[in-house]
Formats: sequence, structure tokens, C-alpha cells
Amino acid sequence: MSAYIDQFPEEAKVIRSAFYASFFALALGAAFGLIQTLHRTDFVRIIPAEMYYTVLTAHGVLMVVTFTIFFLVAIFTWAVTTSLDRGVEDIRFTWSWYGLMTLGTAFAAIAILAGFTDRTEISADVLFTFYAPLQAHPMFYVGLVLFVIGTWLAGADWFRSWWAWKQENPDKRIPLPTFMVLTTMIMWYLATLGVATSIIAFLLPWSLGLIDTVNPTLTRTLFWFWGHPVVYFWLMPAYMMWYIMLPKFSGGRLFSDPLARVVFVLFLLLSTPVGIHHQYLDPGIAEGFKFIAMTNTMFLLLPSLLTAFTVVASMEHGARQRGGEGYFGWLGALPWRDPVFTGMALAGLMFAAGGFSGMINAGMNINYLVHNSLWVPGHFHLTVGTAVALTFMAVSYYFIPQVTGRRLASKQIALVQVVMWFVGMTFMSNAMHRGGLLGMPRRTAEPEYAGFQFETAIGTVGELNAQIALGGVLLTLSTLLFIVNMSITALNDRDDDLPSNTIPEPLSGPNEAPLVLDNLKLWTAIAVVLVIFAYSLPLASIVERGGLFGPGGDAFPMFLELADSFGFALVGETLSAMVSSLLETLRTVV
Amino acid sequence: MNIHNYEKLWLIAAMLLIIGFIVTITYGSVGLGIAMIDDSEETIDPNALEDHERFGDLGVHQTGDGEYDVNIRAYQFNFEPGSSALGVHDPIVVPENSEVTLYVTSPDVIHSFSVVGTNANTMVVPGEISVMTVEFNEAREYGILCNEYCGSGHHGMEGVIEVVPEDEFHLFSVAGVDAPESAQAGDEVEITATVDNDALDADSAAVSLEIGEETFENELEVDAESSASTTFTVDTGALDLEDAVDIDWTVTVEDGSEATLEDGSASGSIALETDDDENDDTTDDDNDESDGGDQ
Ligand code: HEM
Ligand SMILES: [Cu+2]
Ligand SMILES: [Cu+2]
Repeated sequence: MSAYIDQFPEEAKVIRSAFYASFFALALGAAFGLIQTLHRTDFVRIIPAEMYYTVLTAHGVLMVVTFTIFFLVAIFTWAVTTSLDRGVEDIRFTWSWYGLMTLGTAFAAIAILAGFTDRTEISADVLFTFYAPLQAHPMFYVGLVLFVIGTWLAGADWFRSWWAWKQENPDKRIPLPTFMVLTTMIMWYLATLGVATSIIAFLLPWSLGLIDTVNPTLTRTLFWFWGHPVVYFWLMPAYMMWYIMLPKFSGGRLFSDPLARVVFVLFLLLSTPVGIHHQYLDPGIAEGFKFIAMTNTMFLLLPSLLTAFTVVASMEHGARQRGGEGYFGWLGALPWRDPVFTGMALAGLMFAAGGFSGMINAGMNINYLVHNSLWVPGHFHLTVGTAVALTFMAVSYYFIPQVTGRRLASKQIALVQVVMWFVGMTFMSNAMHRGGLLGMPRRTAEPEYAGFQFETAIGTVGELNAQIALGGVLLTLSTLLFIVNMSITALNDRDDDLPSNTIPEPLSGPNEAPLVLDNLKLWTAIAVVLVIFAYSLPLASIVERGGLFGPGGDAFPMFLELADSFGFALVGETLSAMVSSLLETLRTVV
Repeated sequence: MNIHNYEKLWLIAAMLLIIGFIVTITYGSVGLGIAMIDDSEETIDPNALEDHERFGDLGVHQTGDGEYDVNIRAYQFNFEPGSSALGVHDPIVVPENSEVTLYVTSPDVIHSFSVVGTNANTMVVPGEISVMTVEFNEAREYGILCNEYCGSGHHGMEGVIEVVPEDEFHLFSVAGVDAPESAQAGDEVEITATVDNDALDADSAAVSLEIGEETFENELEVDAESSASTTFTVDTGALDLEDAVDIDWTVTVEDGSEATLEDGSASGSIALETDDDENDDTTDDDNDESDGGDQ
């Protein structure tokens, strides 16, 4: 029995690098988050209003693409190697997908950050949804494509491990952690078809000037084809942690392996055919299609509700193992002083609240009230911004020592950090939800209007803004504590008695799960059929209405002669421009 | 597969909850007839909105008893009509107790048209027309904003809907004004204003003429969907003109709502002649809003 780094020293290096990339994105993203919170609430405005959108694009992309996905490829690699008890087949291949993801991030980030300076034409102020006819520099789209290809190869890596393992273990059930990784990746392959088509067939050629126009409804629909399942791509690694690690940290074992498999299969089947629920307010899409998406969405609640049950049941089991008693008394027996446990438990609690506001979003008619209001970032800072992000931060306190072999710098600070996130998010998210109900818009630099005011039933707009700003500051401080703690840990002394890298067996094991659950081909086929049902008619009708390349119109902002200006030579130029403008900004701020 | 009893109970409860949601929402949207934004409208060429029958004629139009259509263009970074706070366009004005159908489209990027604090909220996509029918039962103002990021000026994209008491709502516009181009100082001049009533009911218009420093007002009865004229007779000798060579005039009709500010008034000027240049006859000139209207 030994720590991960002793079992798989080579893999540990890749995993470490992925964690560091993810933390770097988190740190930068949090800095931008702070600028946004203080700017839109009018407490501190250090940038001109137009620049807010550059900041917001960077925050969105860094948080929900870079931070989350780099983190999840790290823990997926850990999960596959640990549960199959074998290293990757070829470590060079593993490094190559890591390299591709990094390169993609760099491209996209440079295109976005170049928006801060006028010294180059390059910009990508299109937010992470990049709805046409808003147009980004081609480098932005190329970056996204490289990144996604990187994740495809990562999936291939894990499938390869599983196939190799299967040759040697023909009669064994797929170990649960690997099963979770594989089902998640199948979902991801299916989902990314949408965004890949949108970028490769339309947006990239359009930004290069090869085609004149695109159909805005088509590219938007293809975006959401991917945009909803990507939510589960973030969430499923967090679920995986709740299923296989939370029981461990609460001192018990997972309640049921078969049900965990059922949950992941349901996610594979239902995550994709729902994307149109983001388009309830779009003209040009028939109400019937919206209705189908809504019904599917409601069924997608099922696996999350099942997860809630399993998580609570496993925690209770753990607490009773630790001597907890009584109807609710067992709660006191949980290891609340452990930041890993507490962070995950608080994340789970916030997810319950996020799930509730999500159900409201999903309802077609209520959605009209909250769509694109501040309610929506209120909602997803509970889900991806806490259920996922806080779970990731909490388990980092376990994983970083495992993959570096170093001692965690401070458990106390870690505990303060996770609680501070919870408190900060309570303020920020609650006030965002309330602001949204008043009609305050999201994605708006300065939501102050000359012609009208937001009407509050209780409290004032000023009080809401103060809560958002306070929450944002606490969240940023919490991120800072996390980053400092992790950095010191990475440079700390070796820890010679790290806990061994094990995953406890579930109470009811895989042999009670029907064999059909492991039939990945079958589930893939059903998932494809469901997607065809949900999307073929809407896509056909969108193309019929607007044409493949849309009804015409210009790109915004307009770029001239992009085709020649795009190239590697520009990267250096952009970087130097960025550095100088950063210095300039610093000088004006200081 | 072995499923724990509690787990079974939970599963059943979860399914009931989900089905309950679907049923209530189905009832809410189908049963109560709440209309969603959908594909019922034809597509439109975003580069030629002016040629479109609806968007070539922006603003409020009456379609039935208490029923109105409003045609709105949402563009970077205004609503036309709607964005009135900074004086760019007219506000959207509709009467209380009306059923208003809003038609919105965009010539550039994706926007939204969102009536603040209500569920009247839609995306506006170039090439598509968004339609919403809203009932306004109370005289008050509503804010409008764009909540879909549409570029660097997105946060300034706002407007208002003014719901006014029924008796203050009119669909008048000044169709043309007949005024002399020049007049002999001290003579009487006649200025005739023609007013259109686009409403489906006859209505009486308060037409006012501002000339020199004076203001005159005439009541004018205009039939439904037609026009009528009223003539002001002004004694230039009674105007306090000091040493002016031109008399400026403006005709205004108490307007309810029209697409553009120009429609509610027209103006021009009359050149004053003294006795020494008596050679010219005064000629009548048809001042309508397009050639006489600079305000
Ligand atoms: C330091 C902590 C954070 C702060 C202070 C913060 C603050 C904010 C604020 C104020 C907005 C709304 C901006 C607007 O709509 O005008 C926002 C948007 C957003 N945040 Fe955060 N956030 C934080 C952490 C996170 C995390 C951890 C995630 C996800 C993992 C996240 C994902 C997003 C996304 C996706 C958006 C929407 C971007 C868009 O609308 O294009 N944020 N954030
Ligand atoms: Cu979604
Ligand atoms: Cu906008």
C-alpha cells in the first residue's frame, strides 16, 4: 500500500501538470471575477466599460473551460490508473494530449487577452458562448479546436487502458471509477460534435474570410448542443468524487455500486438531447422542439436526485461507522475538521440549492422571467462555481500530496478556505438570484439605466450590490488562500506517511449490477438515437429557414484582411503588446 | 439488481416529482395558452429591413379595438422606437387596457428585448422576427433593456414603454402644412395643417401652431384612418417680431405615438417682405414633414 506517486511516478507527473494548469486558470479567473464583481456593482471601476467584456470572456473561458477541464483530465487519469491498477499504455501519448490542451488554451487566451490592448487588431470579446455574428480572431477558434482535440485524445488514452486491461481480465466487471470515466467520455464525444461542427464548418472559415456569412441560429444551436452536456462534463467528475471519495472521507463505503452505474448511464443518455432548453426564447425554433427539450431536461433531474440519496446515505453509513447515532445525531459524528470532507459536503449542500434554481430555469414559462438575468450566473455559481469548483478544491487537499509526495502545507487554512468559499458564495449567489428577479441583466458592465430603475420589493439595489461585492471579495480571498496553500505544498518537504491510494469497496458491489449496465456499445447507440430524435428536426428546420450560411449580414466587429494577419509571427507581437499594456495598466493603477 | 427499500421509495418520489413538473408546465403553457416565442413568423433579410412591409414602417399601429402592433428594430445599441432616455428615438407609447403585439428584429447581431421585471422577454436574432403579445392594464412606465451581450456598448442599450391612460393616447401625425413662403409684414397669413389619424376610431386632435413668440391652438376632429385639415389665421402685425426677417413656425399635434419624432410636428419659416420689394406674389408651398421639417 502506498501513495499514488509511488505507484505511478510517471503518470503522477502528468497529473500534477494538469492540476497546475488548472490552478493557474483558477487564479487568473478569480482575479477577473473580482474585477467584474466590483465593476458591475460600482464599487471599484479600474477598467473602461467596454473592457468589461474582455474580462468576462476571459473569466468564463478560464473558469469553465480551462480550470474545470484540466482538473478533470487529472482526476480521470488518476481514476483509470488507480482502479485498473495499471499505468497508461504510452506516457508519450499522455503528454501529447496534455500538450495539445495547453497549446489550445494558450491560443485562445492570447486572442482574448489581446483585447486589452489597441496595439493589435486581435481580440475575442465574444464571451464563452461566441454567438455569431459577433466574431473573434481566428486564433480563438483554433485554440478551442486544439483544446477539444486534446480532450478527445485523452479519452482515447483511457479507452486504450481499459481495452488492454480487458484483454487480461476478460471476465471482470469494469471497475466503477473507470466505468464513470468511460461513460462520461462517450457523452463528451457525442456532445463535442456540435461545437466542433460549429467551429470547424462555420465560425473558423468565416473568421478567416473563406465564407461571408453564417446562420446565427444554426451556430447558436450547435453551441448549445454542446453547451448543456458540457455542464455534465464538469459535474460528473464532481459526482465521481462524491461517489467514490466522499464515502471514504466520511469513514464508510459507497452505498451501492449498481445504482452509481445507473446514474452515469442516465447522464450519458440524457445530457445531450436537452440543449434547446437554453433557447426557449429564440425565435425561429418551434415550440414543440422546445417542449421536447424541456421534458428531457426534467427526466435529467432523476440521476441527480438519485445521487443526492446515495451521497447522503453513504455519509450516514460513514458517520455510523464512526459511532454516530440518532435520527440526525449522526451528522455530528462526521469529520467536519477535515477540509476534504467539509469542502465536499458544503459543495453538495450548495448543489441542492443550485438544483432548485435549476428546476426553475428548466420550466419553459418561468424561464421567460429569469432568462439572461443575473439569476442565471447566480444559479451556475452554485452548480459549476461551487458544487464542482469547491469539490475540486477540497479534493485537491488530498490529491496534491498524493501526486507530489509532499506534505499539505496547512490543514487549518484549508478548512478556513472551503468555509470561506461557502460563505462568500452564499452572499454572492443569493443576491444575484434576487437581482435577477428584479430584471437585472447578466453580462452587463454597468447595469444602471437612464430611463428606469429596478423596483425592489424588499431591500434595495444598493444592498444587493453590496452583497454581490462582499461575496465576490470573500471568494477571491478564498481562492488566494487555496493557491498559496497549494503552492507551498508543492514546494514542501516529502511526506513519508501519506495515506495509501485506495478506493474502498462499495457496500453492494458490482456483482449485483446487471451485466447489461457494462454494455457501453448499447448505451452509446441509444444515446445517439435520442440525440437524432431531439435534434434532426430542429436542425433541419433551422437550415431550411435561414440557410446553411444564414440570411447575410456583416460580422461584428469587422476584421480586415484577417487571413494574412493570422499566424505564429503574431503571437510574439501580441505577447509583447500584452506585456506593455499590462505594465501601462499597472502604472495607472498604482 | 438489489435496490434498497428506501432507495425504491426515493426513486418513486423522484419520478412523481418529475412528472408533476412536466404536467404543471404543460398545463401552464398549453392549458392557459401562454404563447412562447416560436417559428410562426417568416424570416427576414437583415440587410433590407426598410423594404420589409413591417419594419419599413416602425412604430405603433392599431389593428383592432384595443389591439396594437408595435414594430421595433433592435440594433447596436438602441431600440427604435424605445430608446428615448437619451433622446435618440421616441419611446414606445401604448394605451392602458390594450393588447399589444411586439414585433422585433435585428439588422446586426443577436440582442434581446426584455421588459424589465416581467416575463416579456425574447431574443432578437438577425434574420428572424420575434413576436410577443402583452397585455397592458395599468398606466405606468416599463423599462426595456437588452440582456444578450451584443458588443462594447451593450450596457447602454435601453428603452421605455409608456402605458398612458386611454384618453391621452392618439395616433396622430402631421401629414403636411400649407404655409406661405413669404409675406408682407403686417399682413394676415393662413397656415393650414393636415393631420393624419391612424387609429381605428375618430378622435379629436389638439393642433398647435407656434409662430414667432406666440402659440395658437385648434381643435380638430379627424375620422378613423383618415386626415383632416385646420387653418390658422395669423396677423403678422400682432406678432412681436422685433427686427426679424424670417418668422419661424412649428405645427405640433398632441401625438400618441409614431415611429419617429419628426412625425409629430412640422416646421418651416416665412420670409418677411418690406414695402420696397413688392414684386413677388406670395406662393403657397406644401410644407410636409419631409421638406419643411427640420426642428
Ligand atoms: C473568485 C470567485 C468568482 C467571482 C468573484 C466570480 C464573479 C462573477 C461575476 C460577478 C459574474 C457575472 C458577470 C456578469 O454577468 O456581468 C461571473 C460570471 C461567470 N462566472 Fe464567475 N466568479 C467566480 C468564480 C467562478 C467559478 C469558480 C466559475 C466556474 C468554475 C465561474 C464561472 C463563471 C461563468 C461561466 C460566468 C459567465 C460568463 C458569461 O456570462 O459569459 N465563476 N462571475
Ligand atoms: Cu443546460
Ligand atoms: Cu445587448
